[in-house]
Amino acid sequence: MVTTTPDTLSPPDRGIRWFLQNQTSWSRAVLGSAAGVLSFYIIGAIAVLTSHGWTGICPEGVTRLECSPSDPLAEGLKSDGLGLVATIALLVGLVITAAAITSWKRMPNKSAREAVIAGGVLSSQVMALAGFLLWFRATDVDRFARNFLNISLIGEKAGLAWGTVTDSIGSIAGLMLAWAVVAATLAGIYAWLRKTRPRLVVYAALVGAGGGLVWGLIRIASVPSFIKGAQNTLVLSAAGAALGFGLGLVVALFAMSKRAVVRAPARIYINFFRGTPLIWQIMFAGVGLVPALGLDLSMYTVAILVLGFNLAAYSSEVYRAGIQSLERGQIEASRTLGLSYFQSMRYVIVPQAIRRVIPPLLNEFVILIKDTSLISVLGLTLAQKELLGIGRTIYASSFDATAWLGAAAGYLIITLPMIGIVTIVERRLRSGLTSVIG
Amino acid sequence: MNDDGSLVRLEGIHKWFGGLHVLRGIDLKIVPKEVVVLIGPSGSGKSTLLRSINLLEEPTEGRVFFDGMDLTDIQTNLNEARTHMGMVFQQFNLFPHLTATENITLALIKVLKLSKEEAVERAHQQLGHVGLSDKTESHPSQLSGGQQQRVAIARSLAMQPKMMLFDEVTSALDPELIGEVLGVMQDLASEGMTMVVVTHEMGFAREVGTRLLFLDEGVIVEEGIPAEVIAHPRHTRTQAFLAEVL
Ligand SMILES: Nc1ncnc2c1ncn2[C@@H]1O[C@H](COP(=O)(O)OP(=O)(O)O)[C@@H](O)[C@H]1O
Ligand SMILES: [Mg+2]
Repeated sequence: MVTTTPDTLSPPDRGIRWFLQNQTSWSRAVLGSAAGVLSFYIIGAIAVLTSHGWTGICPEGVTRLECSPSDPLAEGLKSDGLGLVATIALLVGLVITAAAITSWKRMPNKSAREAVIAGGVLSSQVMALAGFLLWFRATDVDRFARNFLNISLIGEKAGLAWGTVTDSIGSIAGLMLAWAVVAATLAGIYAWLRKTRPRLVVYAALVGAGGGLVWGLIRIASVPSFIKGAQNTLVLSAAGAALGFGLGLVVALFAMSKRAVVRAPARIYINFFRGTPLIWQIMFAGVGLVPALGLDLSMYTVAILVLGFNLAAYSSEVYRAGIQSLERGQIEASRTLGLSYFQSMRYVIVPQAIRRVIPPLLNEFVILIKDTSLISVLGLTLAQKELLGIGRTIYASSFDATAWLGAAAGYLIITLPMIGIVTIVERRLRSGLTSVIG
Repeated sequence: MNDDGSLVRLEGIHKWFGGLHVLRGIDLKIVPKEVVVLIGPSGSGKSTLLRSINLLEEPTEGRVFFDGMDLTDIQTNLNEARTHMGMVFQQFNLFPHLTATENITLALIKVLKLSKEEAVERAHQQLGHVGLSDKTESHPSQLSGGQQQRVAIARSLAMQPKMMLFDEVTSALDPELIGEVLGVMQDLASEGMTMVVVTHEMGFAREVGTRLLFLDEGVIVEEGIPAEVIAHPRHTRTQAFLAEVL
């Protein structure tokens, strides 16, 4: 008997084209009109606000009650035009949501059903946004705008005088290019000598460019400004992380000792730093210990030390979990080959554990970035203040709460890329690990 | 060798895990070139006994002599002694972050202090020996179970040990891969390697083993020439066990 093996086929298309082909006219209408009302709401609101203007200019010497740069924005928010946009969006959203709720079960296939459900969810989100705006218009919009929506303040206090910004961008770009070229050249020589990893050159260029950017921002930052604050936040977190991640590994190894006398101090250390609030630790060190012991340390150094010691306690638990997640067989195989306990740790256990702990350690780093704000309880000079301290300082001199928004923007600019990196690294390590374990 | 001509001598070994009495008085002598096969029901203490020989488990009582050293003596350099005893595990326990070659060279470089060139040469030689010359740069994840286990054997052999311990090294393998690993072990035995083998492969025990030990509830119940014990077990517990596995 002759059997023929069927040819291997490429998988059927289940992507966006397949999704669109399976729509009915009804499902297309629901999803389309939901997307339409969302666009209408966003574009309409922006158009109305822009027509009134986002900021204004006030004459010198008038009080903020008489004139505030936020007045045009407040006018826009209170305008009938915006009310009309929100009301229309609310009503249309209501109709589409109702249509979706009553019809999603009757769709003939999964793609059409998903489209109707997505349309219903989108339109109810539009309803929520429009309802919120209508409620907000009923509050004291003028007062809120005066306190929080003086957008021009963020630009003023960014730390880049507008006149010099083009020069600055030019010189920063030059710096980034120069650093990238130097780093790539060094990496290229290394890769050529060791005959390995040409990709290293690309990484080095990226790191070099990043270094050039940071260095450029540091050079143009003026005081007090959000950029100066961001710079201090970065320096505090980077130095704290270097101390914390290094010390944390040592503490973790101690905490895993089979000898109670070695374990005990490590546990006490970990439990003390995890069991007391970080803000207490900062105050106790800065306001209590350093003056009492007559130590000659700047508050900036104290801040870095406390942040690092605190991070060490948390990261040591991460290291410990990572090391203990490895199979027992790994250290047994290593010891059987005659490697000592420390050699086994160094060459077999820690290299494997590091890959597993990178994502949780990066998470700790993001937490540390935000925790640097707690050092504002120490008496820091203006040049030493980090983002939150800068926000407070600007608020104290201008009584304009928009400063808080500037600080928040600074944190987000730093943390969002970090969170993105965590996600990417997690995904890459996970795919790497399945092949490693598999 | 120990002064009585044996390579390994166990004297009155007892092991408790908490209140669990796992090994209950083991006395055993193994002379060079012996292939001792250890069989017994699951949980009878075979692994614990094997791991007592290289002190991966420390006996609660009793002494272990190896090659003239008292391994249970606190003064003995265990790391040095272990370089003369290879061990292969059921789960392979290769280092997943290293290639096949690096798995082998790690201990050669860090423990035996060979130069990198010497270590790599020896690794390639050993991999050739187990039929894996084309897999020198593969990571464990890129190898089949049988290939991984052969790398693990090569890793132990590269240390040029005086004896080898095998703990159910084919139990985690698909049936069609068992033969290639048993073949490597058979070659090793014919080259005169002293071996202690925990296994359920009765064919291997009969063909390759020079002595068979039947362990039950932490006691060596019966021992003898493999073919004879398998054909005519004297003890009822041995009979019951063999009736089940054969
Ligand atoms: N590290 C350990 N801690 C506690 N109990 C153990 C440990 N290792 C083995 N045991 C117990 O000792 C007994 C013998 O185990 P083992 O030597 O692995 O048997 P075998 O290899 O013959 O199946 C079993 O009951 C097992 O549960
Ligand atoms: Mg076992």
